[in-house]
Amino acid sequence: MNVKTISIALAAVVVLLLVTLLMQKGGYVSQATEHYTKTTEKSYKSGSQVVEYVNNSIETNKSVWNLAMEVLQTVKSSQDQARLEAKLFPSTKGTMSIANKTRKFEATSNYYIISNFAKVEEDKKTGVKSLAGLTSVNVSALLGTPGVEADEEEEEEEVEEAPAPAPKKAAKGKKGKKGKKR
Amino acid sequence: MNNKKFKILLIADIVLIVGLFVLMMILKGGYEEQAKKSVSEQLDAYLNQNNTVLQEQWKSVDQYGMAWKLVNATLTGDKTEKSFDAAAQAIEADKDARFNQVSYMYTAAGIPPQAQNSIHEKAGLAEKLVLKNEGGVKEVACGKNCVVTFTFAKGKLKDVDYKALAAYNMADNFKLEAPAAFRFE
Repeated sequence: MNVKTISIALAAVVVLLLVTLLMQKGGYVSQATEHYTKTTEKSYKSGSQVVEYVNNSIETNKSVWNLAMEVLQTVKSSQDQARLEAKLFPSTKGTMSIANKTRKFEATSNYYIISNFAKVEEDKKTGVKSLAGLTSVNVSALLGTPGVEADEEEEEEEVEEAPAPAPKKAAKGKKGKKGKKR
Repeated sequence: MNNKKFKILLIADIVLIVGLFVLMMILKGGYEEQAKKSVSEQLDAYLNQNNTVLQEQWKSVDQYGMAWKLVNATLTGDKTEKSFDAAAQAIEADKDARFNQVSYMYTAAGIPPQAQNSIHEKAGLAEKLVLKNEGGVKEVACGKNCVVTFTFAKGKLKDVDYKALAAYNMADNFKLEAPAAFRFE
């Protein structure tokens, strides 16, 4: 009787061992898969973020460079530049400083250019002032060395008649978005 | 009689239990090793692949930055071939300025300095700026699959073609692949 009970119990253990043995591999596979998936997903997510953010940053940088080079080759007065800005950046507008004889175009707080002009011109009929005689374009912010340009504190509102299809609101909205992203 | 059969079963059970146990231990070691090896191989391959893209992108941004700088220098300079060659050489040689320019664009993108440094440590900077310099026609690299062409005639600048640079789409050239499914092999 005793032998009978023990042998049946042991037979059950044998079955149990057999089942464990068969499931053993599955356990290792799922553990390995979990570790692999977790690590690769993390790398994929963080890496993709870097790639995407840099791609976007370059996208803006490129447009500002393109504007700067166009300004260098085609612009003579601040009105010319305003027209070019409106063409390349419909939703952002540059600001002009009559006192400094500069016009600054800022796509984002990081990417901007400052055009320097030789003289101030005044329309005798309307009294509107504008800048003429482009002398140079400061691209230091695009070269990664911002802050070497002249003080821009005396910025004035745009007072020229150049076509300006972009409302101020849109420009601000765009800046805000970029800012948040950082 | 019955009792005898159970005794045989008992002995068989014990033998099987010992046998199965030993087998389990042997397989356990094998599976563990196999799992570790498979995971590390596939993981390394994937992480390497991602890092390579990040490093290539870093170097491309360097070429991109140098190319714009050179276009700017050419358009604002005296437009002679001699100054162009000097500017290209000076831009390429100034590694600090190159790093700063790349880093500035990464910072603008919101990439923290540690992440930039870890990419830069492995990637370094781009190896080449001027790709071709034949008979007044100079091709300058401006990123992966991007070339700017400067044409000089009798030592004077005739044309700068930077259309590829102005239209350069980095997103087309740099993208990470999603990880493949894990294979236990």
